[in-house]
Amino acid sequence: MKVSIFTTCMMDLMFPQVGQDMVEVLERLGCTVDVPSNQICCGQPTFNSGYVKASWSVMHNQIDALSAIDCDYIVCPAGSCTAILKEYPQLLVDDPTDPNGTYMKQAKILSAKIYEFSQFIWRVLGIADCGATLTDTATYHRSCHMTRLLGERETPFWLLQHVKGLEMRHLPGIQYCCGFGGTFSVKEHEISELMVTSKVQHIEETGAHILISCDPGCLMNIGGRFNRLGKAIKIMHLAQVLNHDVDESRIKKVSEVAAPAPAPFP
Amino acid sequence: MTIQNREKFLNHLAERLNQPRHQLADHPYQQVNDLPQQTLKDKTAAELFSLAKKNSEALPVSFYETTLADLPQLLTDYIEKSGGGPVLLPTSERFNDFNLTTWQKEIAANQAVTYWRPDASREENLKVAETANISISFADFLLAESGTITVSSSPGQGRALHFLPTHYLSIVPRSRIVPRSTQAVAWYEKERAAGRLDSSAIHFITGPSNSGDIEMQLVTGVHGPLDVAYVVVND
Amino acid sequence: MGLSTSTLPFKERIAKAASDQFAHGSIAKAQDVQYDKRETARAELGHWEDWRKLGQSIRQHVLNYLPDYLEEFSDNVDKRGGNVFFAQTTEEANDFILDIIKQQKGQHVVKSKSMVTSELGLDEKIDALPDVSVLETDLAEFILEEDDWDEPSHIVFPAIHKNRDQVQEIFKKIGYQGDNDPKRMARFARKYLREQFLAADIGITGCNFAIADSGLINLDTNEGNADLADSIPKTQIVVMGMERLVPSMKEAEILDNMLARSAVGQKLTTYVTFEGQKTAQESDGPENFYVVILDNNRSRALGTEFQEILQCIRCGACLNVCPVYRQIGGHGYGSLYPGPVGAVLSPILGGYEQFGELPYASSLCAACTETCPVLIPLHNLLIKHREVETDRLKMMHGFNDFQMRVVGMGTRSPFMFKMALRFKHFGLGPWTHHRPVTATNFFAYNGAMITNGPGMVGGWTDVRDLPAPPKHHDDFRVWFKQHKKGGNPQ
Repeated sequence: MKVSIFTTCMMDLMFPQVGQDMVEVLERLGCTVDVPSNQICCGQPTFNSGYVKASWSVMHNQIDALSAIDCDYIVCPAGSCTAILKEYPQLLVDDPTDPNGTYMKQAKILSAKIYEFSQFIWRVLGIADCGATLTDTATYHRSCHMTRLLGERETPFWLLQHVKGLEMRHLPGIQYCCGFGGTFSVKEHEISELMVTSKVQHIEETGAHILISCDPGCLMNIGGRFNRLGKAIKIMHLAQVLNHDVDESRIKKVSEVAAPAPAPFP
Repeated sequence: MTIQNREKFLNHLAERLNQPRHQLADHPYQQVNDLPQQTLKDKTAAELFSLAKKNSEALPVSFYETTLADLPQLLTDYIEKSGGGPVLLPTSERFNDFNLTTWQKEIAANQAVTYWRPDASREENLKVAETANISISFADFLLAESGTITVSSSPGQGRALHFLPTHYLSIVPRSRIVPRSTQAVAWYEKERAAGRLDSSAIHFITGPSNSGDIEMQLVTGVHGPLDVAYVVVND
Repeated sequence: MGLSTSTLPFKERIAKAASDQFAHGSIAKAQDVQYDKRETARAELGHWEDWRKLGQSIRQHVLNYLPDYLEEFSDNVDKRGGNVFFAQTTEEANDFILDIIKQQKGQHVVKSKSMVTSELGLDEKIDALPDVSVLETDLAEFILEEDDWDEPSHIVFPAIHKNRDQVQEIFKKIGYQGDNDPKRMARFARKYLREQFLAADIGITGCNFAIADSGLINLDTNEGNADLADSIPKTQIVVMGMERLVPSMKEAEILDNMLARSAVGQKLTTYVTFEGQKTAQESDGPENFYVVILDNNRSRALGTEFQEILQCIRCGACLNVCPVYRQIGGHGYGSLYPGPVGAVLSPILGGYEQFGELPYASSLCAACTETCPVLIPLHNLLIKHREVETDRLKMMHGFNDFQMRVVGMGTRSPFMFKMALRFKHFGLGPWTHHRPVTATNFFAYNGAMITNGPGMVGGWTDVRDLPAPPKHHDDFRVWFKQHKKGGNPQ
């Protein structure tokens, strides 16, 4: 199975080791991985800030870059960027710079191929247990875009259930945004500060040592706030957890494990 | 009476919508699914009764089930328990339907009883409603899903009868328990269309008046009755 | 008061809201309480997603044929003997209402909760009439009125920012002598308000839904104050936004169910009332019935990408799930309509000059879109507002336009991005400091953190540390190239 990595600008700029872990996990599970070289960013920073005109060419570049390599699937380490790429066909409806619909056509193809990392492993590869071990306590921060725009609220929890030694603790107020919101975190940093402070409090209430998420943006925000407050936390992307201390003989398919319960509300 | 500034106002809206007016006849609203009609549709009469009881009591409402024969005694007991008169009663044919005409005379002999009268003025009827300790009404329906009674205004049973007295009791025949508001509204619409119902007010009442406006702590009896009772009469 | 509830600039409002510890706690508590009630009530109903589609279809249909429904409704009010006044502006509406009060020689006006009359700033105008008193009878609005017309901070729970001690102090001014028990205070308000109700000659109510085919209006309350306001006074004035229409009672009933579950987690509100001009034979209810239908710039949204905001049924669920509202409360928004719905609606009603900051006061988490019972894509409408402000109106609103254009360039040109990847570590060098790293497993080159970055980065580092970006040879792309060649660079 040929898989292209949609790196995201956040991972490229700030979280190189997440990409490495992701590649190693995917290769271990039998994928042939490649990284389209001209890709940059999904366009959210400008689009969501209202610079829609400036965003068409960002999206076009991304479409060109990801279409340049033949692949069966595109896998992304960020729920938010995955969601926006899935929405490309809707966003490009108003694109005046694509009169022939060339980009629209490609966008529809990409949109069908793209998966967020955790949902790709569970829902496409059908893998439930990646063979990882991590003996510690952790809590999971659900990103808003992954949950509400991409509609994925289950696979990270299901995969984490199979990490040996890991004790997961429920995060109170899990439904509330951490205050990242892309450019929101800098433009409205006063509000963002209140939100991330509240998130830090909730995480502390769990007593967990590790904060796991599937969105580097949220991790950078929450981790940065922890650091500013001088409070201890270890931040991990799910890929880093699933690539931790792996025993390949333990890898199990979804069909080999008990059916998981749907993610509890909310 | 009068309608002012209409044409200019509506033409402006039509312009904004970029569409000529008077298109509705060809495009009436079509319900996209029949959930309102389907919800609780399959419940038996017995199931609807217990659902109505459960949901009413949760409000909280004092829920009574009785027979025609026992109804007079139940009402008398209720009045005594609620501190006696003045008791406000509607002027209604339905006292006959529930065999209550004798009771009307008996209760008037023991308690101060007043009536909402079709021939009385606004001031007179409001006065008796305001001074009444208890009022009793006849309901059109009891909704199982929400524990709601529905009442429609008439010259003999005005609006304020349901709101001004301290204690409020409503009588409803068991055959008038329906799944939910959908069925009650369908009936009101049918009766209005047929010219059989001339009410200026239809009230769906779900338990006692309440408010959570102070620190979201629910308190009952802010404006309307402090407590509410439903009496379901087997018919 | 009108649409704007504050004269402070946006950032000062935020700072003020952030410092109000009580309001902060009470809003968070209210959100959590409402969360459970709302979700339970919706789950109990079942098929919630299909109910939402039903609600959306009713609201969209009405908006698409709004002139026809308004015509039908006004004809039917007229047939029942009532009056309808179409007001383009708040001034027209206020003038008409004040004229009615004078004409009817009204002395005691009682009001039940109505957002639109607050939008009109009607209370102050009535209050200014000689020998006319006006009283808000919704418990929360009564509290605000007695607190020298304090501003509401929620569309369903206007006094959510007040605690019981504050209410006690306010009530003391009008003769209350008891403690801070909400029940006792509510009893006091009942007695006080009851006397005023009985003396009232004019009742002013809002309108949840106006029934086109009967000319009746539909009111949902828990307290029953609207019912007293439409029973006792001889004159009733209904004030409604022009978009409140429904075809018939059937659709009103559907929306009443969805509204109650979404707003307060109840199956129905305690009182669901359909009422209009009284018949000749009835003795109570309004014998003079007026409906004022207000545009006040709602029509700006009609026929545009913002039309969907007029689907709103004012349940307040989007406020109750919003993480920004949770932090800054209603007063932070500075609009009568706060929260996500307010951030979309306020710029339409009041313009971008005054409310242009509000669409940015959202992290676009989409909790609002997810909860809206009539499927308004709230977070997308916020982006559309931002687009209007930046691309069409070229407004800055404190946003660093130049830097955003650089971001735009950096994210569309592979060459520039690769250059940025190569030099980012050095670019931020001057702001990089060694600082104890307590949040571990950040890449944080050499354990360095950026603590007071330049430009937009400064917005970030005012609040959080930023790990120093990796050096070029540690980049993922560099690693991957090596990896493909068969050797890992570590």
